[in-house]
Amino acid sequence: MSDAIRFRRLAAVAACLFLIAAVVSACGGSKSSSSATSSAAGSSSTSSASSTTASGTPKPGGSLTVLELGGYAGAWPTGLDPATNVNGAADQDQMNSIFGQLFQIAEGGKVVPDLAASATPSAGGKTWTITLQPNLKFSDGTTLDGAAVVSNWKRDFASPCTCKPTGLPPIKSITAPTATTVQIAFAGPDGAFQNQLLVANLNWIASPTAIKQMGEQAFKIKPVGAGPFTVDSDTLSNTLVLKKNPSYWQSGRPYLDTLTFKAVADDEAALETLKAGNAQAYDGMATPSLVSQYKASFTTTEQPATSPYDIQLNTAIPPFNNMNARLAIYYATDAALIDQKLFGNQFQVVQGFTAPGGLFYYPNVPGYPTYDLNKAKSLVKQIPGGLTVNFFTLGSPVNQNFMEALQQLWKQAGINTSIHLYSLAGLIQQFVSKKWQAALQTAGAWDPAAGVGLGFRFLSASPFSGVHDPKLDAMILGGQAAVDPTARDKIYQQAAQYIAKNADGPFLFPLASWNVAVHGVQGPGLTTVIPSVVVNTPPQWQSVSFTQ
Amino acid sequence: MADLPSDLVVAGVAPAADEAAAAKVEGRWRSSLGVIVPAVMVAFIFGVCFIWPLIGPVPSPTGGTILDSNLPAFSPGHFLGTDAVGNDEWSRLLYGGRSSLEIALAVQAIGIVVGGLIGAIAGYMGGWRDSTIMRLLDVLIAFPGLVLAVAIAQGLGPSKLNTIWALCFFSVPATARIARAATLRVREQTFMVAARLSGTSFPRMLVGHIAPNILPQLLTYALLGMGIIMILEGALSFVGLGVPPPAPSWGNMIAQGQSTLSAQPRFVFLPSAALFITVVSFNLLGEGLRSRWSGQ
Amino acid sequence: MSSSTAPLSAPLAARAGWWSRLAGSPTLRFIVRRLLLAIPVLFGVTFLSFVVMNSLPGDAAQELLGAQATPSEIHQLRAQLGLDKPFLTRYWDWLHGVITGHLGHSLSSGQSVGSILVSDLPVTFELVAFAFLFSLALAVPVALACARKPNGVADRLSMMFSMAGLSVAPYVLALVLVYVFAVKLNVLPAIGWVPPGQGLWQNIRHLILPAVSIGLGLLCFYTRLLRADLLEQMQGEDYVVTARAKGVRPWRVLTHHALRNSLFGLITVVALNLGTLLGFTVVIEDIFGIPGIGHELLQAIDNRDVPVIEGIVFVFAVIVVLANLAADVLYSILDPRIRYGRPTE
Repeated sequence: MSDAIRFRRLAAVAACLFLIAAVVSACGGSKSSSSATSSAAGSSSTSSASSTTASGTPKPGGSLTVLELGGYAGAWPTGLDPATNVNGAADQDQMNSIFGQLFQIAEGGKVVPDLAASATPSAGGKTWTITLQPNLKFSDGTTLDGAAVVSNWKRDFASPCTCKPTGLPPIKSITAPTATTVQIAFAGPDGAFQNQLLVANLNWIASPTAIKQMGEQAFKIKPVGAGPFTVDSDTLSNTLVLKKNPSYWQSGRPYLDTLTFKAVADDEAALETLKAGNAQAYDGMATPSLVSQYKASFTTTEQPATSPYDIQLNTAIPPFNNMNARLAIYYATDAALIDQKLFGNQFQVVQGFTAPGGLFYYPNVPGYPTYDLNKAKSLVKQIPGGLTVNFFTLGSPVNQNFMEALQQLWKQAGINTSIHLYSLAGLIQQFVSKKWQAALQTAGAWDPAAGVGLGFRFLSASPFSGVHDPKLDAMILGGQAAVDPTARDKIYQQAAQYIAKNADGPFLFPLASWNVAVHGVQGPGLTTVIPSVVVNTPPQWQSVSFTQ
Repeated sequence: MADLPSDLVVAGVAPAADEAAAAKVEGRWRSSLGVIVPAVMVAFIFGVCFIWPLIGPVPSPTGGTILDSNLPAFSPGHFLGTDAVGNDEWSRLLYGGRSSLEIALAVQAIGIVVGGLIGAIAGYMGGWRDSTIMRLLDVLIAFPGLVLAVAIAQGLGPSKLNTIWALCFFSVPATARIARAATLRVREQTFMVAARLSGTSFPRMLVGHIAPNILPQLLTYALLGMGIIMILEGALSFVGLGVPPPAPSWGNMIAQGQSTLSAQPRFVFLPSAALFITVVSFNLLGEGLRSRWSGQ
Repeated sequence: MSSSTAPLSAPLAARAGWWSRLAGSPTLRFIVRRLLLAIPVLFGVTFLSFVVMNSLPGDAAQELLGAQATPSEIHQLRAQLGLDKPFLTRYWDWLHGVITGHLGHSLSSGQSVGSILVSDLPVTFELVAFAFLFSLALAVPVALACARKPNGVADRLSMMFSMAGLSVAPYVLALVLVYVFAVKLNVLPAIGWVPPGQGLWQNIRHLILPAVSIGLGLLCFYTRLLRADLLEQMQGEDYVVTARAKGVRPWRVLTHHALRNSLFGLITVVALNLGTLLGFTVVIEDIFGIPGIGHELLQAIDNRDVPVIEGIVFVFAVIVVLANLAADVLYSILDPRIRYGRPTE
C-alpha cells in the first residue's frame, strides 16, 4: 500500500478516534469547574461557593466592568437620551448611572428618594407634587430645578417614541410652582403615579442646557445628567465607559472611579467572560440551568421576579371565544410540573398577575381552575372539531423549552398545538393582525399599574390584549386610580378573581433573574435583594464598590 | 500532466500532486482506495442517519415528555441522555443529521442543475449572453447572503425549505462559475467543434456533449462543497434561519446548545463531532474523486 | 486555440516583461470595461437589497414607536422619516445621495451612515487582516516544508491536520478557543474590542482568538493550495529543470521562484472567496462582541434601518466587485492565453 493512501487512511482514522475520544469525554455530563478562583482586580477571593450577600467595608476607587445582555440591556441603538431611547426600560443600568433617578427602589420593595425627596398626592390623586432635593446640579454645572424637570417631562410626552410614558390619565398641566417643586395635574385620579415614575423615562432628568448646546444628535451619544457618573465614551450597543461625577450630590459617592458597560452575546458568554476575568459583574442572568455554574464561582443573588408568565388567549375569535376551550387550557396546564422539570422548582407558581416580589401579592385566587387532566380531556371532547391552537411567543432558548413543554402537556389532553417563536417585530405583527389565538407572555409588574403590567395584557384598548371586557377595564383602571394602598389591593384581588372566573388566561410563575458579581464586589441590588420594577433589578450603581 | 482547471483549485482542496508524480502501475488501484474509504464513511453516515432509525430502536426526536427532562448519558432507554424537554439526544443526533444532510444534498443538487445550466449556457454561447449572465452572477455573489438569510427568517419565517433557498444563493453562482470555466475548456475540443459544424442543436449539444464532460467536475465540486454548506447551515441557525426547533438539525443543535455550554457541554460537542466527521468524509471523498478523474 | 484556464502559477519566462504587456492596450481596456460593467452590478445589488428590506414586515417607524403607537403616530413618523414615499422614489433618492456623496442617516440613531461606516469598517478590516496574516504567515512555511520533502513526516502530518482544520466550523472553533484560552488558561480575553488608540497590545490581544477562529480554516486551505502548486511547479516546470541542471539548490528554487509564482496565484484565490469569509466574520463578531460591520448589519436589519443596510451593502459590493476584478486581472497577467468574452463563432 502506497504512502499516499496510507496517510490518507491514517488521517481519517485518527480524526475519528480523536473525535470518539472527545465525544466520550464530553458525554460525562457537565464539566464542573476546578479551582474556581476569580481574578477580579483588587480582591482576595474566597474559594467557598457563595450565593449569600457579600459584605465588607466599601473601598473607594476602582474600575468595574459590567456585562449586559446583547439585544436587550446591552442594546441602545437609538442613543441614551431619555426622550428617544427606545430601549430605556431595558437600559436602566446605563440610564440610572448617567442621570440618577427621581425615585429609586430599595431593599424590601421600598420606594426611596434619590434626586427627588418626596411625592405627595392631593385632590383625590389628581394632582401630584414632587419635591426635589435642594441645590442639585447637572454635571455640566447647570441647575436641576423644577423648571428643568418640567422641560424634560414635556419633552418626554411630546416625543414620538415607544419610550413615551403610557398608562397615565390625560394630563392637564405640568408646572414648577417653586424652584424645587414640580406639579403634575391629571384629568382623573392616579394613585400609582410615584410607582409609575420608576418605570417611566420621566424618572431620568437630562440637562436642557446641554441638549440645546450639543444638539439632540450629539446629546443622545454623550448625554449629560445629574447622576453618579458622566459619559466618557460611547460605542452604541457595544461599550459605554463612564467616569465618576465629581459634582454628584451625594458626598462620598459614587465609590467607583470608572464604570464600563459591555454588551455580551448571552448568559453563557457572560459566564465565560467573568471567568476569564474580563468583567466583574453581570446583571440579569436568566438561564436557570446555568445557575449552579455561576454560583460555583461568583456571588449570585436571585432577584425576585415580579412579572408572572401567563398564557394569553384571544377571546374575540375562535377557538378561544368558547369558554370551554379556555377552561381546557387551564385544566391542561400543569405549571408546577414545568417549574419542577424545567426550572428545578426555583420559582413560585401563582394564580394571578402579581408575584411574591411585587406589590399586592396573594398566593391563592379563589375560583382559579387548577390543573386537572381529566376535566381537560372531557372539555376537549365536547368541543366540536377538537381543539387546535396556534401558540407563539418571543424567541429565546428558555421560551423554546417552555413552549415545547406546554405543547407536550396540552397534547395529553388532546389539544394539538403548533408553536412559533418570533422576533419582537414578528411578535408585534401577530398581535396587530388580530388573528392570533394564544401567546405566552409575561403580565403584571412590581406595581400592576406601572409599565408593562396589567393593562397591557387585559385592557380592551390595548392592542396586545385578548380580553375586551368593560367590567375588567373598570377594575384595572380603578386599581390604578385609588390612592389608598388597601383600596388598591382589594380592587386587584377582585380583578384576579374575575379573570379566573372568566378563564381569560392562566398564569404560571414568574422567572427570576440573577445578578452576579465576582467575589470582592458588592452593592445594593447587586449582592442584595431588591425587587425588579421591569424585568431585571438595576443595582444602585452609586453604592456599588469593591470591598476591603 | 493534466491541465487542471484553476477554478477547481479555487473551489476547494488542492490537487494531490503526488498522485500524478508517483508510480503508474499502482495508480488506479491506489486512487480507487482513496475513493472507496471515504465513500464507505459517507455511506455509513447516511446509513446511520437515514436507515437505522427505520429499523432500530430509536425514539422520536420530538415529542418527548418533560418527565424525562435532562437525563444524563447512559440512562436506561437514553444512552446519550435527554434534553431539557425530554427528547432523546441520540435520536436528535440521527434525525438532525438527516435534516442537515437533506438540506445540503438539496442545495448541491439545485446548484448542479441550475448553476450548471446557467454556467454551461454562458460558457458555450459567449458574447453578450455570457457577459450578462456573468454580471447577474456577480450581483448575486456581491450581495451579502447574510442580509438575505436574516430577511428570509424574519419575512417568511424559518423553515427547512427557506434555509435551502437561502443556501442555494451561495451554491448556484459558485457552481455556475465552475460550469462556465469547464464549458469553456470543453468547447474548443475537436469533437465539439465537429458537432457544432455539423449543425447539432444547442439542447442536444448540452445533453449529449457538454453535460457528460463537465458533470464529473461539477459532481466533485458539489461533494467538496457539501461540507461548507453544512457548516453554513449552522451559521444560519445562529442568525435565526435554519431548521426551526423543536425539529433538530446539527446546525440548530449547536446554535441552541452553545447558550448553555457550561451546563451541558455534550449538547454542543455531539453535533459538532458528528458534523466534523461528516465534513471530513465528504472532503476526502471529493478529493479522492477529483484526483482520480484528473489522473485520466 | 484557447487553452483552458491557467494553472495557479505561470512559467517565469512568460512573466518577464509583464509591465510592458500591462501598459499595452488589451489588459487596460479589459480593466476599464470591467469597471464600467461593475456599475450595473452595484446598482443591481443595492436595488435587490432595497427590495428585500421592503418586503419585510414592519418598518423603522414601527420599530421606533413600538407596540403602543397609534396609527396616526406611525403615519406621522413615517412622513418625517420619508418612509411614506413610493418604493422607487425612495430608492432613487438614495441613489441620488450616493452619487453626490451622501449616504444618508441612520433611522435609529440619527448618525450619518458615513460616520457609522468609518467607525465600523476599520474594526472588521483589522479583524480580517489579522486572520489573513495569521493564515498566510503560517501557510507559507508549512507549505514550503511540505514541498521540500513530499510524503515526508512533516508533509503527512500537515496534510492530516489541515484536513481536520478545514472541516471544523468556525463558530465551533471559537467556542473551543474561548473555553481553552480564556476560561481555563486565562491568557486571552473572552470578548471585547480595544481600539488601537487605547493600547496597541490590548488591541492585538483582543483580536487573537477571533482572528484565529476565522484564520484556521483559511490556513488549512492555503497550505494545501500552496503545497500542491509548489509541488506541481517543482515537478513539471521547465525552468525548474533548467535551474537544477545549472546547479541551483532545490531549496533556493523553491523559495525564490516557485513560491513567488504560487503566491501570486494565491492572492487571486483570496479575492474570490471574500464573500463567504465576510459571512463567517459576522457570526464571529457576534460571538466576541466586536463592534464591526457585521454586528452593525445584524442590528440594522433588526431595526429595519434601511439607510445603514444600504450603505453597508454598497460598500461590501464595491469590495467584492473590485476584488473579483483584481483576481481576473491577475489571471490575465499570469496567462495571456486566456481570452475574454469573445466567442469563437
